[in-house]
Amino acid sequence: MNSFRVLVVDDDPDMAAFLARIITTEGMVADAVYDGDSALLSVLTQPPDLVLLDVMLPGKNGFEICEHLKSDPATALIPVVLVTALEDRESRVRGIQAGADDFLSKPVNREELVARVKTLRRLHETRRELEERRLAAEVQRKEAIRKAFSRYVSPRLADSIIRDLGSDDAPFKAHAHRAEVVVLFADLRGFTRITESIAVHNVVEMLNEFFSVLTEAAYQHEGTIFNMAGDSLLVGFNVPFPQPDAPARAWRTAVDMVSSFGPLASAWRGRYGVETGVGIGICRGEAIIGNVGSPHFMSYTVIGNTVNTAARLVQMAQADEVLVSGAYYQSIRDLVPQGRVEARGDIALRGMSEATAVYSIRL
Amino acid sequence: MGEDAYKVKVAKDLEDLIPNFLGNRRKELDALRVALAAADFEQLRLLGHRMRGVGNSYGFEHVSVIGKHIEDGARSGDKAGLAAQIEDYGNYLSKVQIVYE
Repeated sequence: MNSFRVLVVDDDPDMAAFLARIITTEGMVADAVYDGDSALLSVLTQPPDLVLLDVMLPGKNGFEICEHLKSDPATALIPVVLVTALEDRESRVRGIQAGADDFLSKPVNREELVARVKTLRRLHETRRELEERRLAAEVQRKEAIRKAFSRYVSPRLADSIIRDLGSDDAPFKAHAHRAEVVVLFADLRGFTRITESIAVHNVVEMLNEFFSVLTEAAYQHEGTIFNMAGDSLLVGFNVPFPQPDAPARAWRTAVDMVSSFGPLASAWRGRYGVETGVGIGICRGEAIIGNVGSPHFMSYTVIGNTVNTAARLVQMAQADEVLVSGAYYQSIRDLVPQGRVEARGDIALRGMSEATAVYSIRL
Repeated sequence: MGEDAYKVKVAKDLEDLIPNFLGNRRKELDALRVALAAADFEQLRLLGHRMRGVGNSYGFEHVSVIGKHIEDGARSGDKAGLAAQIEDYGNYLSKVQIVYE
């Protein structure tokens, strides 16, 4: 058990010495100060577990000190016992109004002093234990929520959600808004053949391996996964947190996805005799971000032409190919080995009213 | 006062505090005499109040009793009564015997 520290405040050195001696005899720690200002300073610098407080003191009197302690959230829970020779009802009422937890009359009866201090100690320790348990439970709860969220969103976004729980500007509570984003779609090439020729439980296992590789790459570069459907993954950058280097992050994610999938594709080739690869489409532009759904089911999502364009690009991308829009390519061209880039010209993508400049990057 | 009235039982664990305690009581006696000579009733009241609180805490019941009389006497301005109490206090301090147990 931790030592229980009692601050004795009395301007009479004999009284202070007496109270401190009884406290230490009972196995507790006692410090003594002799005026109101020293008492407040002592509480501030080394908060005690209990205060035995004389009323008639030089400087601030006991009532004023008690009021001060009880009005400050940092010290409000420290039990205060007023030790006074004032016996009139008015003084008692004044003490109660000041927030005193208990009273002791002078001359002090030793047994009564010990009994009152021990009772308050038990209460204080029970309260502290409950508070510690509450905090531990709160930490545990947040950790459980974080773990649960981390399966669906990036660890950074999960941490932000936990941190902002109850806050009106939490990412998931924000109203839908437009923002400049970089959208990356990744898709498994050869998936149709896999579903036709491989047992269902193996297909599920393969998809889990596939998405593990892709999400690892996305989280590595702090992308936000918006959607995982079939064999396709949608990752956003510069959302919900600003990422000035979002284009570069998306590019590095694409490179990591393709290179990390390589060993897995080899393993599948050996295990199932299938040829697979990752196709990627990336577009940069404005999109709408927000919560879509009903009060019972919400999806944090990104929608708009930028997303549609990236979706069309990934449909066209071959294995180990990244197809990107012209606007996006301009923002990463310095990062890309020029020998691997091929301008495909302006292409009329399905469902798009205007042609889109497309670049192919082979990895 | 009979001889037994001057015997005080003090807890053993307070023994090392008693020399200071008694030293301060003697200084207190001097302060009471000075305050009485100056008819400083507020000072007398404060000194009596302090005696009342500390005396019997240590086991010196008579110090608390005299303290209360001095506090009351100071409030009513009873100079003769105060003088008698202070004399009684001096007499008590010169004769007090302590038994530690």
